[in-house]
Amino acid sequence: MDYFLHILILINIYIIIAISLNLISGYTGLLSLAHAAFYGIGAYATALMWLYLKTGFWVNIWVGILVSAILGIIIAYPSLRIYDDYFAIATFGFQMIVFSIFNNWVGFTKGPLGIPGIPSPSIFGWEVSSHWAYLLLSGFFAVLVYWLTHRLVNSPFGLALKGIREDEIFTKASGKNITRYKMLVFIIGGSMASIAGALYAHYISYIDPTSFTINESIFMISIVIIGGMASLRGSVLGAVVLVILPEALRFIGLPNAVAANLRQIFYGALLVLFMMYRPRGFVGEYELTKK
Amino acid sequence: MLKQLLLNGLISGSIYALVALGFAIIYRTVRFFHFAHAIVFTSGPYFTFLFKNVFLIPIYLSIPLAIISSTFLGCLLDISIYRPLRQKKASSMILLLASLGIYIVLQNLLSMVFGDDTKSICISKILEGINIFGARITSIQIAIICITIILLLSIVIWMKKTKMGKLVRTVSNDAELADISGIDSDKVILSTFAIGSSLASVAGILVAFDVAMTPTMGFDALMMGVIAVIIGGIGSISGIALGALLLGLAQNLGVWYINSQWQDAIAFAIMLIFLLFRPQGFFGKPLKKAEI
Repeated sequence: MDYFLHILILINIYIIIAISLNLISGYTGLLSLAHAAFYGIGAYATALMWLYLKTGFWVNIWVGILVSAILGIIIAYPSLRIYDDYFAIATFGFQMIVFSIFNNWVGFTKGPLGIPGIPSPSIFGWEVSSHWAYLLLSGFFAVLVYWLTHRLVNSPFGLALKGIREDEIFTKASGKNITRYKMLVFIIGGSMASIAGALYAHYISYIDPTSFTINESIFMISIVIIGGMASLRGSVLGAVVLVILPEALRFIGLPNAVAANLRQIFYGALLVLFMMYRPRGFVGEYELTKK
Repeated sequence: MLKQLLLNGLISGSIYALVALGFAIIYRTVRFFHFAHAIVFTSGPYFTFLFKNVFLIPIYLSIPLAIISSTFLGCLLDISIYRPLRQKKASSMILLLASLGIYIVLQNLLSMVFGDDTKSICISKILEGINIFGARITSIQIAIICITIILLLSIVIWMKKTKMGKLVRTVSNDAELADISGIDSDKVILSTFAIGSSLASVAGILVAFDVAMTPTMGFDALMMGVIAVIIGGIGSISGIALGALLLGLAQNLGVWYINSQWQDAIAFAIMLIFLLFRPQGFFGKPLKKAEI
């Protein structure tokens, strides 16, 4: 039963990640390969705040959001000057640099050793320690993120994002401040991913840099694309499918090392197949087109 | 010490140049980031390992066989995946993601078959390096530098003198116009995949002989190759070679000041600076419109 709940909690975390990345890549059309960096910043901000200052969940989450917002502004900056796949390569560079900081700044982040023993969060004196309670907490954040993003993309703000995606010059000409929108979308998307990171760190109670690699970023964009670009339901669907299906591999009785490889082969192959036959994903309304 | 670092820079620069050149030749005709180039690079040494240690074929036959196999792999990727995507007029981002997917699949396949551990295809016991001007260099490293120079020169001659080389330049300039003039651009692109893949495979085998091999070695090598291309500018072969050399030297000399574990981060920071302020590189003419 706990295993089943564990999967549901992971799905909730990945729903938050997928929706936030969809806001950046699906709605605004900025292909980003740096989302695991935001996720990692959330997790590391949480773990480090706890490690050095012994602060609790609610403080940690805000620190993560703050740091992510700053990184969001930095990553959004190239999108003003370079486009399409070149921008994707720039985000790739940021991802590698952030990972390198997690991995190599041993004095501060503990490097490859990771940070163990992050305690369960407590909410109004009530400790969230059981799987059920954590499911509720992660579910609350997943619903919150879904609801906020839903409001956002159906507002004039969301329309402007789609405008940037479809025709940037036209959107600019109609008086929208492109710089502001692009920065905001990275700030919002990055903050949401960092919430997912904080949830993950408190839940798993141990983090190390290997959870925040470029492969993880590719996995995240796979969820968004396979689920559906610019579709919130698609992101939920993608998270459910891509988290659950590889778990099925465990039941065949494969050794863990092989299962890890098979999981990656599975989503890599899905990514290739979707790019070839259905680039907008299951229920998406946008495929990555050239600006 | 300084001489040794300069020499090491020259050696890594040579490898980067081979990878970068192969990547750039392909990029110039297809206009997308062919990430699976990394796995073609890795496939070279692993094919060599397969032929030499599993099928027990002598080394002087294993290496050419491995290069042919990797070349075939690169061409197969183009025919089976990229060509159908091109026909659908897929955007460069879709092709980029597809190639990332291919890379993930094949790299994990390699890990599953051969294991994640470091493997070696060294033939003889480790030799003490030869002393040149106070710096040590092994015979493999001399081979790396010589082979790189020979391959770079032959690519330049191929591009300038042969019919296929001219066709490649034509398609690189304007694929649509080339098509209209009756050039079979699919065939030309396939030939760039063949040339680029064999360069990557040679580079991979050289690295495996010099150091060792792991299933993820190609990714690091390709990243440095891409950075070299962005520094040098994708348009010119000499620019790419110089970019690779600069990157190799910068990384190795950087060890004087900064801990070597930060090499990658610094390389990517350099790449970001170039992307932002000089996307056409030091020497290249802008190929891609920086503005919409």
